[in-house]
Amino acid sequence: MQSSPNMLTKFESKSSRAKGIAFHPKRPWILVSLHSSTIQLWDYRMGTLIDRFEEHDGPVRGIDFHPTQPLFVSGGDDYKIKVWNYQTRRCLFTLNGHLDYVRTVFFHPELPWILSASDDQTIRIWNWQNRSLICTMTGHNHYVMCAQFHPTEDLIASASLDQSVRIWDISGLRKKHSAPTSVSFEDQMARANPNQADMFGNTDAIVKFVLEGHDRGVNWVSFHPTLPLIVSAGDDRLIKLWRMSDTKAWEVDTCRGHFQNASACLFHPHQDLILSVGEDKTIRVWDLNKRTSVQSFKRDLDRFWVIAAHPEMNLFAAGHDTGVMVFKLERERPASAVYQNQLFYITKEKHVKSYDFGKNVESPPMLSLRKLGSPWVPPRTLSYNPAERAILVTSPTDSGTYELIHLPRDATGAVEPTDVKRGQATSAVFVARNRFAVFNPSSQQVDIKDLSNSTTKTIKPPVGTTDIYFGGTGCLLFITPTTVTLFDIQQKKQLAELAVSGVKYVVWSNDGLYCALLSKHNVTIVTKTLEQVSTLHETIRIKSATWDDSGVLIYSTLNHVKYSLLNGDNGIIRTLDQTVYLVRVKGRNVYCLDRNAQPQILPIDPTEYRFKLALVKRNYDEMLQIIKTSSLVGQSIISYLQKKGYPEIALQFVQDPQTRFDLALECGNLEVAIEMARELDRPNFWNRLGAEALAHGNHQTVEMTYQKQRNFEKLSFLYLATGDQEKLSRMAKIAEHRGDFTSRFQNAIYRGDVEDRIQMFKEVDLYPLAYLTAKSHGLTEEAESILEACGLTEDQIALPSLEESLKVPHAIVPTFKSNWPTKAAGHSSFEKALLGEVGAGDEEVADGFEVEEDETEAVLAKDTLEDDEVDAAGWDMGDDLNLEEDVEFVNVESTEAGAGSSEADLWARNSPLAADHVAAGSFDTAMQLLNRQVGAVQFAPLKERFLEIYKGSKTYLPASTGLPPLVNYVRRTTEETDSRKVLPIIPRDLETVASVDLQEGYAAMRSNKLEDGVNVFKRILHTLLVNTVSSESEVEQAKTIITTAREYILAMTIELERRSLSTDTPEGLKRSLELSAYFTIPKLEVAHRQLALMAAMKLAFANKNYNSALGFANRMLANGGSAKLLDQAKKIKAQCERNPQDAIDIEFDQFAEFDICAASFTPIFSGSPCVTDPFTGAKYHEQYKGSVCRISEVTEIGAPASGLRLFVPAQH
Amino acid sequence: MDPFSAEGELLNIHNAFHSGQYQNVIDFDTAALSSENQLPARVLKLRAQIALGQAKEVIAAVSSEEDTPDLAATKALAQQTAGNTDAALQLAQDLAENYPENATVQVLGGTVLQAHGNSEEALALLSKHQGNLEAVALIVQIHLQQNRTDLALKEVQAAKRWAQDSLLVNMAESWVGMRVGGEKYQSAFYVYEELASAPSTSAPLSIVGQAVAELHLGRLPEAEAALTAALEQYSDNAELIANAIVLNVLAGKPSADLEAKLQQLQPSHALLADIQEKSEFFDAAAAKYSPKVSS
Repeated sequence: MQSSPNMLTKFESKSSRAKGIAFHPKRPWILVSLHSSTIQLWDYRMGTLIDRFEEHDGPVRGIDFHPTQPLFVSGGDDYKIKVWNYQTRRCLFTLNGHLDYVRTVFFHPELPWILSASDDQTIRIWNWQNRSLICTMTGHNHYVMCAQFHPTEDLIASASLDQSVRIWDISGLRKKHSAPTSVSFEDQMARANPNQADMFGNTDAIVKFVLEGHDRGVNWVSFHPTLPLIVSAGDDRLIKLWRMSDTKAWEVDTCRGHFQNASACLFHPHQDLILSVGEDKTIRVWDLNKRTSVQSFKRDLDRFWVIAAHPEMNLFAAGHDTGVMVFKLERERPASAVYQNQLFYITKEKHVKSYDFGKNVESPPMLSLRKLGSPWVPPRTLSYNPAERAILVTSPTDSGTYELIHLPRDATGAVEPTDVKRGQATSAVFVARNRFAVFNPSSQQVDIKDLSNSTTKTIKPPVGTTDIYFGGTGCLLFITPTTVTLFDIQQKKQLAELAVSGVKYVVWSNDGLYCALLSKHNVTIVTKTLEQVSTLHETIRIKSATWDDSGVLIYSTLNHVKYSLLNGDNGIIRTLDQTVYLVRVKGRNVYCLDRNAQPQILPIDPTEYRFKLALVKRNYDEMLQIIKTSSLVGQSIISYLQKKGYPEIALQFVQDPQTRFDLALECGNLEVAIEMARELDRPNFWNRLGAEALAHGNHQTVEMTYQKQRNFEKLSFLYLATGDQEKLSRMAKIAEHRGDFTSRFQNAIYRGDVEDRIQMFKEVDLYPLAYLTAKSHGLTEEAESILEACGLTEDQIALPSLEESLKVPHAIVPTFKSNWPTKAAGHSSFEKALLGEVGAGDEEVADGFEVEEDETEAVLAKDTLEDDEVDAAGWDMGDDLNLEEDVEFVNVESTEAGAGSSEADLWARNSPLAADHVAAGSFDTAMQLLNRQVGAVQFAPLKERFLEIYKGSKTYLPASTGLPPLVNYVRRTTEETDSRKVLPIIPRDLETVASVDLQEGYAAMRSNKLEDGVNVFKRILHTLLVNTVSSESEVEQAKTIITTAREYILAMTIELERRSLSTDTPEGLKRSLELSAYFTIPKLEVAHRQLALMAAMKLAFANKNYNSALGFANRMLANGGSAKLLDQAKKIKAQCERNPQDAIDIEFDQFAEFDICAASFTPIFSGSPCVTDPFTGAKYHEQYKGSVCRISEVTEIGAPASGLRLFVPAQH
Repeated sequence: MDPFSAEGELLNIHNAFHSGQYQNVIDFDTAALSSENQLPARVLKLRAQIALGQAKEVIAAVSSEEDTPDLAATKALAQQTAGNTDAALQLAQDLAENYPENATVQVLGGTVLQAHGNSEEALALLSKHQGNLEAVALIVQIHLQQNRTDLALKEVQAAKRWAQDSLLVNMAESWVGMRVGGEKYQSAFYVYEELASAPSTSAPLSIVGQAVAELHLGRLPEAEAALTAALEQYSDNAELIANAIVLNVLAGKPSADLEAKLQQLQPSHALLADIQEKSEFFDAAAAKYSPKVSS
């Protein structure tokens, strides 16, 4: 019997025979009761023994965790049932009563009851709260091997060596014990005699069914969690399935396969499977519906005694002769692949689905892979090919199969795939647009296949290869147990090899430059050429990983999400309640698949790793940003910074003086260090500061520290070294004052002061030395006086031979005057960034007109654009189609050889719009169109626009060497392939004009750059004149913008005209006043009109035209807006109202309706004759008819025109 | 066996040449090649030299060996590139007449003929090829230059039947795809992206292809990213600059600097010539119009 490849052992322990097992419902713990009398508590995730409980005498067979409380129960061959608290690690109490071995013990799922089965042929129920026996069930006439509560109903199943399985009804017991509102006499009677029938003949527990069918003793019985099914295992080597109804129970079927006693059996908690173990050393899995063997697992030597299932997770444990094993039946990692913004994955139902990260939407199922592999085996991997929209799925069934399937265009439901290509392999990955690689471990061969599944190439991977992964375009990664190899498929050459052991998964970064190799406990980050960048170790299993866009690896272990920078710095981001498989990280969200193959979003705080990344990249601005906006402080980040050699940055975070001092010393920031040393003022700090300052050559600081420490010797030496004679002599005085002769001597030596030395020797009665000193320095008089004082003469003394007297070296450079400029303690760039941010806040102030409402203006601009009533006189969008016939042309395909027509020609044929003709290079027809549509006659101003469009219409694709590049035509209809519908791209679309150019024009107005403004608005007109839009509503928008541009050009040219005038003459002044009044007429944005009104008001007021000024003031006040402007208007209004007279009579009637002639800048009163420009709609006096429009500079005033066309509704 | 096939020993040098890695071709160690492959390998190296602008050196190198038609054809191409176009045409026509079966003559001769605008002559010569993918690619290009996308497509589809995996066929298919448009833009993009991202085939040629495909797909930021990165690496590549100009125009950014640079690098570039021509055309066409009243 082969062991199944899908049974995944998660944990194994070594011990004596394991007879009982219990899973903790929440924590990764199992209790194992052993034949040796010990109870073990294991953490199966970490593989550690948490505790041992040894109070039973002899084998312990039954064990169970309480579902909610920190309790467990055990029962053993000492007839005892013990209840334990695993937190206090003590046995709380013992329940005595059984008269023989206790086989199993179980807690009731809700009630405070314990159920025990014993060799004394009884089943007992105990209340563990009042520690009493509440029911004894008799009936079996041999050992009761197992008794279990029903998970939801008031039933008990028991199995006995008397060959029967019994189902007991305990509803009577529940009634009696669960609601003891009042204790009646009957209740007391009943409690006193628990085995007796009450007065109505009911007992607490009655046998409901006796299931007979096993030919030998029955060892185990289990209820199905939801269905009315029972499974039992017996010494007749059979697993029997029973069904029951309210009234009867019967045998359904038998699972045959164990060839020794079957010890235990249970239903799979979630799937239609039965699991059983036996003394034939096997674990067997059966299909519940077909009762056929699905898989089996065999141990070589150990008989199995017990099996248990985790209540929630897909985990099982089986106990055998030498310990326990915890295992899964199948992999829970959902097969998935990420492409750009989409995740493709396979659900538990084996449906292929996609998930959009951006929209957080799951697609409906796209395909059903029900037929892939066997029903109980989920697919292992998924590889996605965006070019072909195909997937490669592998399944471990039949020692590995793969399928190549094309995804349907739209997800319409779980359809069965058509046109499936399949084959034998354990791994299959796409390696190129039209190639994939499959790996067959048995033949140790990698085949490169094309999309029709035929092999194009065969590669021999390194010996021992276990898996293959995508290795970058055209490359593969071969995984062996000890190495990873990068292989170029095309050149059939091994590019690199790296010794990494046990790699299980490979995760590429989004830019394809790095890749993470995941093994059970290690992450190794390598470059795309397989050079190791960093590696890290985790004690807990690593499950999955994904890359942040900034190159940070986010990985998950069983219980954490963590990050690793490229340099290997890592840390925890958050904890996990359940194991998940990361697929993507974006901003503050980690996307993952859980074990049910459901996409999940986990919020994370990326601050820490972003900060560290910014640090590594020395991106100080971002660091600053993070520091300012997040609460990223704390000892860990400081010690991190310090450890990584960024003390100057850590310094910014710290308040504690001692830490600040340490950091300052470390980064050589003496200023801060001194400040902190002063604050601390302890010798130790001064000492350290002195040493550091000395290293810097900052002797002034050194001096200070020595002074602080009263370190006179060092001070003296410092003064000597720096040549500071003055201070040296002061030191000598101090020494004298202190009576420190050694110091005084030293200072005298430093200073070369012989007299002082002699004097000192004399003072301490060292006359010989004094004499010698005097003598050797040639101070004869002094020498003699010493002799005299001692009462000696010269011949009584034998002098050593004297050499030249010692000369005191003199400092050549007056170092003491200033510090050495040795080590600059400048500001780091980070500090600069910190300091620099102060200056960066200055805002640009708009000069010229003082306007403070930039923000509101943008809003106003939009409003006005929409609200403006458009004067569309020249804009009749009639059906006058100049080229209607051309549109309907039929493309005659010639099959003869010879040149065809270029796409540019098609464009011109396909469109009646001037812009498309321009893109096609057909300038002449474009001009014709413009002439007819808007009366364009002067094209020179449009030349730039024409060439711009033309330039953007073609790309140059180099093809065969030696020939010029292939010219391709850029379309705005990117989806279109019908040559009769293709149209060229036109740069500077309406949106650009509205969002960029128009705002630029407004800005020019605001900042009083009128010449620039006129140019900008003219450019807008020219851009829109030769352009296309994509809908009727955009046509309207374009018209609005044209009108706006016209008004601004008119207004700006009026004002420019006014500024060019001389006001020295009365005529000039009058004209100036008129023009300033006309400046207020064009329909500008309100804020801009206020500027015009303000200017006009001030000019009128200054020239005593109080009536006009009053009118302007009133209009300003009516418009509202900035308080500053309104204040001025109010003031002027008040003044003008006293004398509402105009000093100079001007041609301006503030109450009349009129337009301004764009050529003469004079009023055109309504009703008087005028002509209009067909493009801009600008009004002119009649005499300007036939000349070029002053606004557009292109079109002819009053020319007959059909109206500008920018858009063609869809044609068929 | 076809020396250029997947198993052949010339595959790598061949692919390097066609993915535009000319220096790699020149540096390629050919000592280990079998004797019958020495000549094709040498021709490839000479062509790589020509592509790198060393036409004069090539003419000198082959001047004594003009008896070999392959080398003579190489000389014709070198002359063409060096500007001695009349001699090149003469030589190419002679070769086409005398050695029409020679694969090198077909391809290089065809190139020279097409460069002179003798498309029909070039196609006639190329049509004699026996499973020569370079000839196929050239035929496709000539058809495209004639704006006969239909014929180019036929040629590619025929070639795909017997050489689906070839780099040249993939590229030729992409050329056609760029003309057909729609979904084919995306396919072409994938081809070039794959070439540009694999170290063994990445070169200005493939990056330009990738960027151009992005441009046609309307993905201007991506195209810009590709071109900007490539221009940093290959600042003197005329095609990169030309397409960057197109991109800047479409993105509404100034392109004058790039135009000046292109003018300096390759004044004869199609883009510049075209713009010059159109500028004059504009002036001529605009002259026909004038306002009734001059102001």
